[in-house]
Amino acid sequence: MHRLFLVPTLAINAIIILIPAVLTIALAFFRWDGISAPVFIGLANFQSLASDHVFWGALINNIIWTALFLTIPIAIGLLAATLMLVARRGSAFFQVIYFLPMVIATAITARIWQGMIYSPLTGVAGLITRAGFPLPSPLTMTSTALYGIAAVDLWHWWGFLCVIFFAALRQVPQEQIEAARIEGATFWQTMRYVLLPGIRPTITLMMIMTIIWSFLVFDFVYILTQGGPAFSSEVLSTLAYRNAFYDLAVGKAAAVAVVISLFGLATTAVYIRLQAREYAQ
Amino acid sequence: MKRRTFLTASSGALIGAAFVRPGFAQQTKPVTWWYESAAPAQKEAISNVLVDGFDAANPEYKLVIDYRGSELDKQMRVAMLSGSGPDVVYTAGPSYVAPMARAGQLLSLDDYAKKYGWNDRILPVFLEMGRYDGQLFALPKTYETLGLFYNKAVLAKHGWSAPTTIPELEELADEALKANLVPFASGNSGWRGNNEHYVTIALNSIAGPENVYKALKGELPWTAEPFVTAISKLNDWWQKGYFGPNYFSLETEQFFAQLAAGNSPMLPSGTWHFQYISTYMKDNPEDLGFVGFPSAANIGAPVYALGVGSTLSIAASSQNPDGAAAAIDYVFSPKFYGEMNSVWQGEWNTPLVDLSTVKISDSVPALYAQTMKTLADAVAANSYGYTSWTFLPPATDTQLINGIEEVWLGRASVADYLAKLDATFKQDMSEGKVPAVPAR
Repeated sequence: MHRLFLVPTLAINAIIILIPAVLTIALAFFRWDGISAPVFIGLANFQSLASDHVFWGALINNIIWTALFLTIPIAIGLLAATLMLVARRGSAFFQVIYFLPMVIATAITARIWQGMIYSPLTGVAGLITRAGFPLPSPLTMTSTALYGIAAVDLWHWWGFLCVIFFAALRQVPQEQIEAARIEGATFWQTMRYVLLPGIRPTITLMMIMTIIWSFLVFDFVYILTQGGPAFSSEVLSTLAYRNAFYDLAVGKAAAVAVVISLFGLATTAVYIRLQAREYAQ
Repeated sequence: MKRRTFLTASSGALIGAAFVRPGFAQQTKPVTWWYESAAPAQKEAISNVLVDGFDAANPEYKLVIDYRGSELDKQMRVAMLSGSGPDVVYTAGPSYVAPMARAGQLLSLDDYAKKYGWNDRILPVFLEMGRYDGQLFALPKTYETLGLFYNKAVLAKHGWSAPTTIPELEELADEALKANLVPFASGNSGWRGNNEHYVTIALNSIAGPENVYKALKGELPWTAEPFVTAISKLNDWWQKGYFGPNYFSLETEQFFAQLAAGNSPMLPSGTWHFQYISTYMKDNPEDLGFVGFPSAANIGAPVYALGVGSTLSIAASSQNPDGAAAAIDYVFSPKFYGEMNSVWQGEWNTPLVDLSTVKISDSVPALYAQTMKTLADAVAANSYGYTSWTFLPPATDTQLINGIEEVWLGRASVADYLAKLDATFKQDMSEGKVPAVPAR
């Protein structure tokens, strides 16, 4: 009888996730303009992607993005959270400050950076250039566009991780921290041997989610550069969007979506395995 | 108000509403129309001129405009697929009409064309562009062209004159660079589609409209020599710095302001820029000049590339197709043309055959009327060119827009760019996605 309680959740999941997912996978094997009847074409969409340099460029950009977000915001977040734990005074205030960018809509954050920071006319970059120190907008160069976007997302993102890590650190038994202090452990030793092991499950979860989210990144890229210039900041999700809504190639877009999902699935599998191992221990 | 009085009054109002409502609904049937984004002044113009004008002229209908923003075409496609779209279907151009017509999502307009006399009132070229399988499915909401805006004051200050040939244009641009000016006010931040304005200019003014026509009909590959020459020339202009260092940072209004402020002598783009005069050149509108973009020596006269930025159709699922047809007909009336173009230039230039009865406000720059007349004459004489957003299928157009950045930034050669353009076009053509191209 109690299994009936699962029915509403399963029904919602089937309607919202399972059916669209199955349809997307099926569409990857069709040619469809989103309007007329789909035509089955086998693996042609995947073959087309394999020979498209823009697809490979987008995939590499997603990998770079993942590497950036697995390191920089997690390192900054951990450091700031630990400092707040050590020096408790003002931690509530700093939590609010760090978390603030997270509550601003991404579209607004992106437009603020575009207009007030990067713009050569109305931004800080323009001000510095006019002062005699040429500083081009990173969004306008192929070598820096992706990093320019990542900088905006990092600014918006690391505070969230910091607050999550701080909440987890507060659950580490105070006795362990005190004991380490009495034993003469330095700040870094306390972090290395007491705090980080204490919040390892949280860090693992955040890293797994970072990988999944990194392959879904869309909003900042689309608003700031739309994948340009010259596809240099194209990621898989913007490529899928362009295929579906500009090229009217929904089947090809579905094929890109399948590739994105494969990365998400692989990451989820790793996470489940890690969790299972922890339970076993 | 006492409780009993309140209840009595409320009941009376409810009963009254119950009797009045059906009568009201019979008298005014809604006509729904989803519109893209519009600035406050433009919304006011739509409300005053279109909605109020139509409602007054058609008391049996009530026009309801719903602003859907810049993602209108995506929302429209999804809504049309589910049969829940508006009565008046506003598309981003003829290339979006064919797939909808093929899928049976649009109503044939042939009967309404007969009823309202559209075949006699609208320039034939545009009727031909709205046909699919011999039936009329769309009418252009506006038509436009590309050319060269210039700042007369800047030219006069430096002793320059408006260019009439490509060598003159290059000489002027080189002089502008020496004077620390950006030769072409231009940019694509916020709308990468701006790239295609420059590619369209190069294809028509250097390769020539005859060659573009042949390519659109599949009779000449996009890798042919005239197109290589055209794109190579465009690339030369980019490499020489004609488009300036901030191309990827400037939005449309910002680079128009650059022209207005005298930081650029020229602005190669479309006639829709006339709408910015009232904002950026309200004190000196006479400083703005416009000429056809100079053509290569073998082409001669400037080519006016014909563009249709948006079209109007009726949804097959419409609950009020007659009302939608009445609304479209109102847009094609001389009265509406005159009133709307008096307050908002460049976006409601409907292709009427006879403009003699149109009355436009004296406050509208004469340059706008002259330019539109020149374009209308070019269309009537069958000597127009082809804009990419009107005549290319969607995937080819995307490659044309995005691929040119790879050429400019050294990530692809001109040959590679055109080869990919040609391959994409052939694929689109094999799938029947190329929009109708009127015979020359």
